This record gives sequence, structure tokens and C-alpha cells, in this order.
Amino acid sequence: MTTLIEAPPSDADGLLPTKKKKSGGGLGQYILIRFLLIFPTIFILVTMVFFLMRITGDPITAAMGGRLPPEQLQQRIHDAGYDRPLPVQYFEYLAQLVTGNFGTTLSDNRQVTEMLATYGSATLELTINALIVALLVGIPFGMIAAHRRDHLPDAVLRVFAILCYATPVFFAGLLLKLTFAVWLGWLPVAGRAKTSSELALTGLQAPTGIYWLDALRSGNMAALGDVMAHAVLPAVALGLLTAGIFLRLVRTNLIGTLGRDYIEAGRSRGVSEFRLVTKHAYKPALIPIITVMGLQIAVMLGGAVLTEKTFEWKGLGFQLANYLTARDFVAVQGIVVLLAVIVAITNFIVDIVAALIDPRVRY
Amino acid sequence: MAKNQRALRSAIALAGVSAFALTACTGPSGGGGTSTGGAGGGTITYGTTDKVVTLDPAGSYDAGSFMVMNQIYPFLMNSKPGSAEASPDIAESASFTSPTEYTVKLKPGLKFANGHALTSSDVKFSIDRVVKIADPNGPASLLANLKSVAAKDDSTVVFTLKAANDQVFPSVLGTNTGPIVDEEVFPANKIMSDDEIVKGKPFGGQYTIESYKKNELVSLKANPDYNGLLGKPANDGANIKYYADSNNLKLDVQQGNIDVAGRSLTATDAADLEKDSKVKVHKGPGGELRYIVFNFDTMPFGAKTANADAKKALAVRQAMADIVDRDAIATQVYKGTYLPAFSVVPDGLPGAAQPLKEMYGDGNGKPDLDKAKKAFADAGITGTVNIKLQYNPDHYGKSSGDEYAMIKEQLEKSGLFKVDLQSTEWVTYSKARTADAYPVYQLGWFPDYSDADNYLTPFFIPGNFLKNHYENPAVTDIIKKQLVTADKTEREKSVGDAQTAVAKDLSTLPLLQGAQLMVAGADVKGVEQTLDPSFKTRLGVISK
Repeated sequence: MTTLIEAPPSDADGLLPTKKKKSGGGLGQYILIRFLLIFPTIFILVTMVFFLMRITGDPITAAMGGRLPPEQLQQRIHDAGYDRPLPVQYFEYLAQLVTGNFGTTLSDNRQVTEMLATYGSATLELTINALIVALLVGIPFGMIAAHRRDHLPDAVLRVFAILCYATPVFFAGLLLKLTFAVWLGWLPVAGRAKTSSELALTGLQAPTGIYWLDALRSGNMAALGDVMAHAVLPAVALGLLTAGIFLRLVRTNLIGTLGRDYIEAGRSRGVSEFRLVTKHAYKPALIPIITVMGLQIAVMLGGAVLTEKTFEWKGLGFQLANYLTARDFVAVQGIVVLLAVIVAITNFIVDIVAALIDPRVRY
Repeated sequence: MAKNQRALRSAIALAGVSAFALTACTGPSGGGGTSTGGAGGGTITYGTTDKVVTLDPAGSYDAGSFMVMNQIYPFLMNSKPGSAEASPDIAESASFTSPTEYTVKLKPGLKFANGHALTSSDVKFSIDRVVKIADPNGPASLLANLKSVAAKDDSTVVFTLKAANDQVFPSVLGTNTGPIVDEEVFPANKIMSDDEIVKGKPFGGQYTIESYKKNELVSLKANPDYNGLLGKPANDGANIKYYADSNNLKLDVQQGNIDVAGRSLTATDAADLEKDSKVKVHKGPGGELRYIVFNFDTMPFGAKTANADAKKALAVRQAMADIVDRDAIATQVYKGTYLPAFSVVPDGLPGAAQPLKEMYGDGNGKPDLDKAKKAFADAGITGTVNIKLQYNPDHYGKSSGDEYAMIKEQLEKSGLFKVDLQSTEWVTYSKARTADAYPVYQLGWFPDYSDADNYLTPFFIPGNFLKNHYENPAVTDIIKKQLVTADKTEREKSVGDAQTAVAKDLSTLPLLQGAQLMVAGADVKGVEQTLDPSFKTRLGVISK
């Protein structure tokens, strides 16, 4: 399932007919509307999470239900305020959010903001790594598929792309782990670094939390190698999910662009085939990747929950799964709000980029 | 054209190679058996799936937090490796100076890792703040018998108790309530964050925390200033590595990435690891108890059923005790990670007995159908008895389903019972069981402190947390007696009497006792020393 979002071709060789520039007056309004849409998006998500989390019962019972007499249990529920009407709890929560107070986690007594900062960097690192894998796999394979259209490599790569997209990320992760970590022993089983590397990196002054960056900053090449080794399997597991989409997108766009009239016109004018492909066909075919890349952030964040859990990659996704199990309302709400903000802002940026590339989307 | 195609091919090839550059530049992980367990120089690494709720003793009441606290904080009372008996730790002496006064004298020259002196004022502060904060996740309820604490002088602390001669109180001081914290670091009325605690270095136990990443990695270093019962650690330092998935924990100990894997490997993991020559599986008795609860009102022939008959209800419980094959469950379902339990007090604790072994089944712990049939016949029960048996699939581990499927099979195979087996998610389960919704149901218990009383008082005296409508004044008297009997031999006898009396009534049917399980590299020493009846993980005894 690929959406063809084509950007206007480059006109460096004067291949396109001259046309009048359209007025860009709608852009400001467009940006404003898109910006304002961020807030209801987050609000709806926050509301849904708040009420859905409460369907499964209160966290005090979940934690202490087997140990305390009912009276004591009820007292604790009362003390924590979980026996008050839901709308009261909800509006208090919203008021708290507005002041930037995300609260303290119920299950491990952490400031939610501190928790988000700590684990956000790990998830950011994983997402960057996965994006690199997706691009490094998706773009070249897409080019090969387009170049060898309707031949065996194309067929194989199209199947590969479908498999990448259709295979559940945790399943791919388990397969990779079983093959490269357990059977072959080439790569680590789980975690973000060996104990010694983690201790070395944790000891740094104001570490960023992005391990490879911390290792580079400290010049610790041994830790860098170790961190990279730990990054491979999670990055590949998550990256392949998006690589399939990139592959199909590049293939489709490249084939479409190579058949355009201005390419034919270029050929007839004697522009070299290499220049036509790399300058006039290849680059425009890649521009939609930027747009889709933004949209894929949401997919990757969703996939990160399973990938992080599979590989003990202690990021937001990993914590989200744990806090869900513990029915820690406060933590789950905090993480979901942050993820919602990231996705909303990413989509906002993508909308702006898309509007700048193709003025038609503003209308 | 050919040139252009070559260029395109080259570009594609370059990009294709780049796709795997990440892998290529990293090389092997070194996970193939090289120990990275420690930073060298006698550091050991312990892996666990437990979690830390908080390092603040006032805010946690869980195994994961206590495991770390037990390494870093000083306690007035603790127990020697190999024992569960409460003995003075940083205290020079501790005893009842009157029936309601427990007096502790501190050793001289005690100090925290930050250089602050550790005095009786810190002790009073530590205990008072647990009570004052009374955090919902905290251990304040364990101090229910405490009236007040006084710092008589710099080295003397007097605990005044509400009830006299509370023999459990010394043990309570060795639990989550007992870590002594620095009053110059901790706030008196609120929980302190872990990062602030680590910065303040208020440590006075065997170890200090060198670096801390919550529920990821904790690095401990031996504390040269510790002068307590546990002595100098057998290692220079210890790392605690946290896992979410026991499979990863298992693989890491197999590959030598950690030295010891503690809680909680699954039964299958343990069985698998026993075949691996690179690691050794260590087992010891554990404090967890798994059992069936009978609701005396709603069980078959219960007090509020249409055909209420106390004699027949007892016969039902007796017949179940005769039929159930604990050994089969322990070995087939739990692969030896649980042991058969024949008492409400787990084996290994002072005073523990096994009355159910003799009283039910064949007298040797195996089932006996004839005895069950006789129990039915003597009570006048004819035909099969229908039982609604509830278990919980999410709180007591994935294997609960298999455990209770086997119990159903065993009961139905006897021809005496027809079992309607049902499961419910935990939050609903824990509420419904106290609302008389379940006539017969599963529960489990981890001890608050390593004393037989913790398996008696919460279950079998009026107002207990089971709320199963069981009351027996004679049993209540015995339990109350053991609680205040100062003489050790006499107290253990009372504990034994209580177990026998409870076994006769069968208010609960003990099934399994958890085995403590640790898996260590072949070169790791001392693991078995920490698998003692105190159920405390003591990193200080482990070395390599």
C-alpha cells in the first residue's frame, strides 16, 4: 500500500514549460490551521487514554489486592483519590497537565518528566537507527527494482517489500535475535550496551542518553563499537518495517518519473542517461520519501514498543509496556501525551514541507 | 548507455553495501562467552527481573526495592547468611528491657558513606518517617505494634510497643521498615527521589552505590566503613542488571554476560539451564506459598449454602487434601522450581512442620483415593460434589492455568468431584474473592518478614485478610501465644501446634512452596549461601 506523492521535477536543464507562479497567500493560513489542529489531536488522545486506562480498575487493587484486608485496601484507594467520580479525576488531570505537571509515577515513584527525558533519548536513538536502516535498505533496493522492472530482481524485491511491511515487528525481532544472537552468536541478545560500557557511559558528565553520541563525545571507541553492536538487531527489526514502504515508493516513483514527458524531452535534447536518472528522475522520486518519512515516525513509535520489549531496549516503548502491565495510569498518560505530541508535531512539519513542495495541498 | 548503466549499477551497489554498513562496522558482540560481568578486580554482576519501586525505605514494600536496600543500608537487626534468625547488625545488643520496651544499643563509631555520624537520632528519624509518611506503597503497616521510638542517648534507642513481648518485632526491624537512613539527607515527611538519594550517599550497609540507572543498572562498591553482622563482602563490588524478559536473563547468564541470574527464571528456563555445563543451577527453599482458600460460607456444604453441613464441608476439604498430588504439580508444571508444601508455614523457617503429610493422603505426601472416599463416606456424602474452583491467570504467573488444570484433573479422576474451573483477571479477582464470590480459589503469599508468624496471623485469626469466615478460638489462642512467647523452644512448639490445628481445620490447603533459584557461571562461588530461609539476596557472599 503505497501512496504516490510526487514532487515537481527539477528544472535545472530547462525541460519544463514555463508557467506563471501561483500566489502563495494561502500558506500562512494553512500553517495556522495545521498548527491549531495539533491541540485537539492531543486532547482527544489524552481523553481516550485517561478513560480507557480506568476500565481495567484501580492500580492500588492491582498492586495490593492480594495482600491487604479489604478495609485497608479501600482506605488506600480512597487516600489516592481513585474512588472519586471519574469526571472529577479527569478535570483535575487536565488542570495538572496545563501547568506542565505530569505527576509522579505510581509504580516506581518517579517524576514523569524525568522519566520521559531519560527514556525519550533511548527511543530517539532507536528511531534514528531504524530510519537509517530503512533508508539504506529501501532506497537502493527500490532503485534496483525500478531499474530491473518486471525482471526477477524486481519480483524478489517486491515480495521482500511486502514481507517487510506485513511481518509483525516483534516476530521479525525474534527471528533476528534467534538467528544472529542465539544461534550464530554474532550480535548481543538484548540491551543497549554491555555492563562495562553502560557504566563507562553513565559516568560521563551530562550524557545525552544517546549512547553512540555519548561514546563519541568521550572518545570511547570500545564502548562505541559495543553500542553499535547492540543497536544492529533492534534497528534492523524496526527499520525493515518502514524499508518495505520506502522500497515500494522509490520503485513506483522512479518508474513513473522515468516515463514522464520531460525525461523523454531530455533524452531527445541529448541529456545523458546518467544525468537524466540521477538529476531528473532519481531526485524527484526521492522527495516523497521525505514526506512519508514524517508519517512513518508514528508507525516507528508504535513499532518501537514491541521492538524495545523484544530487545530490552530501555526506551519509552519498553517503559510503556511495563507501566501498562502495572496499570500505572500516571506514567502511561505521560508517555502517551509525549508520543502524541511528537507525532502531531512531526505531522505538522510534514504538512508544511508538503505544502512548500507542492502548493496544491494547501487547498 | 553502457557507461551510464555501469554508473547506475555502481551507485546501487554502493547504496546496497551501505545498507549493511551498520552491521559490518560493528563486528561480533563478544557475547560468545567472554565474561563482562564486572569491571574486573572481583566485581560480580547479578541479573534480575525484579524492579525497584524506590530506594526510599518509607516508600516501598516489595522484593525488588528491598533487594537493593539490603545491600546499601544498615539495619539494626539482620540475619547471618544461612539463617533466618534475627540478630543484631549494626547494633551491639538488642533485647526486651521490659515487656513493652525493646532496647537497642548501637555499635560505636558508626557512620554513613557521606561521612555523617550514624547515631540513635538517625534510627528514631528513620522509623518515625516510615510511620509519618505512611506511603501507600510503603511498609508502615508492619509497624502497627509500635507506639513510639526514643533516642535515649547517642547510641541507645528504645522502642515502646503497644502489645507486650512481641517476638516478631526484631524480625520486623530487618524488613523494609528497618533501613537506617541519614537524617541530614532524607526529608522527614516525604519520599525522596532515587537520584537525590544516590547523590546524598546516605549508605551505611555492606555497599555504597557508585552509579545508578533505575531498573537498568546499579553499580555497588564495597563500603569500607560498614561494621555489621554481614562483614566484609567477598567481592570488591557488584552490579545489578535489570531485565524485563526472563529469556534475555537466561541467555545472558548462559553467554557469561552476567555472573548470576536471580529472580525470576521460569521453570522451563531452569530445566533447560540444568543441562548446560557452563552454568550451575542453585536451589534452596523459598518463602512463597501457593494454596487453595476455602470460603466457609459458600464452599460446598458451607454455612450459607442451601445444604449447609459443617461436617460434610470439612470432609470435602479433607478429601481434596487426600487427593491432590503436589509432587506431580511441582515436577510436571513447575519443573522443580516449586516444592510440595505440607504446612501453612514453609519448610526451613524455625518451627516449621509438615502436618499435612501425615494427616492426609498416604501419609508420605502422595495421594490416597481410599482415604478420600472414606472421608466422604464418614460424612455421609454420596455421589460427586460440584466445586467451582477459581484461579488467577495474570497475578500468579503464567503457569497457574496448568497448575489448576492439573488439580481439576486430579480431583475429577477420583470420581468424587466435578470441577467447574474458572479464571478471572486480577483486579476483579482480588475484589470478588472478599465479596464471597468464589467458594474455592487460588491465592499465593510472599512473606513480609522471615518468621512463621507471617504465615499464621494474617490468615487464621479473626479479621484476617482472607475473609473466608474461618474462626477457631483455639487456633487463635495458639497463634497469639506463639507471638509473645520469649523462649525459643517453647515458641517453636507453639508454632508447630498452630500448624497442626490449622491442618485439621483446613481453612486453606497448602499446595506448593517456592524454591529459591539462582543460576551462576561455573566459576562463581557462594551462591548457595544466600539461598537461606531469610529469603534475602545477599550479594556480599558471592564471588568469582
